[in-house]
Amino acid sequence: MSDIANGLVAEKDLAISEQADLAVTHVTARRGAKAALDDASRTAFGTTLPSGPRVVNAGGLMIVWAGPDQWLFIEQAKGGVDSSNALGKTFQGLASVVDVSDSRTIFRVATSRAPEKLVRRMGIDFDEGAFNPGDVAITHVSHLGAMVWRLPDGSGYDFACARTYSRDFLDWLRKA
Amino acid sequence: MRITCPYCGERGNDEFSYLGDASVVRPDPASPNASEAFYDFAYERRNVAGPMQELWYHAAGCHAWLVVTRDTRTHEIFEVKSAQDVALERQKSAGAAQ
Repeated sequence: MSDIANGLVAEKDLAISEQADLAVTHVTARRGAKAALDDASRTAFGTTLPSGPRVVNAGGLMIVWAGPDQWLFIEQAKGGVDSSNALGKTFQGLASVVDVSDSRTIFRVATSRAPEKLVRRMGIDFDEGAFNPGDVAITHVSHLGAMVWRLPDGSGYDFACARTYSRDFLDWLRKA
Repeated sequence: MRITCPYCGERGNDEFSYLGDASVVRPDPASPNASEAFYDFAYERRNVAGPMQELWYHAAGCHAWLVVTRDTRTHEIFEVKSAQDVALERQKSAGAAQ
């Protein structure tokens, strides 16, 4: 993915970019620990964890719902800082914390409103009012598993997929 | 057919995998008739024509197991619950019965 890692791919109406140098951590709550995890998150990040398909932006740290009692923590990688390790300490004993930075690719489509072609190619309802800023969906496109969320400020859409399929996913996204 | 996942909302059935009857419960291996009970648990299934509780897995979505109450004749869906919640309810009612 190096050829697109830092470049902005300008399509006809869309600006698609790969979000490079991200620290992505998958957090799964231990059984019965959700309330304590919320307390720990509120203390550390000033917000509780989304209990449904939503994303919150906690000062540049995106907390994305990734299934029941699961979240992705996404932030820009900081040199010399192991974000996943720090999260592991924050949620010590409350959650399983795994660094998945190398296994996820995240593309950003900078548009305030999803284009018609994109809407038609996905199985979820992207309509205004149905998929609002901050909403998250886990779904699949052309047999590729993908997560999509609308940025909380409404400025675009992020698509996350397994890095293995990122080339195919980008092809799909470009065609959409 | 569309299934309303309690976590993700309404999705096409292409996102789900079907397992089967959700009403069967693993028998107690210490029970006196355990052998027969396990045979029934593993092999005996009712061929329901009408509303039935089924296990579905949201494979292309949130990866949650769901208990879907569906009419097998019409595909009408009456209720969708998290399988975890159903299992916890069963444990609770089993505990209350003892």
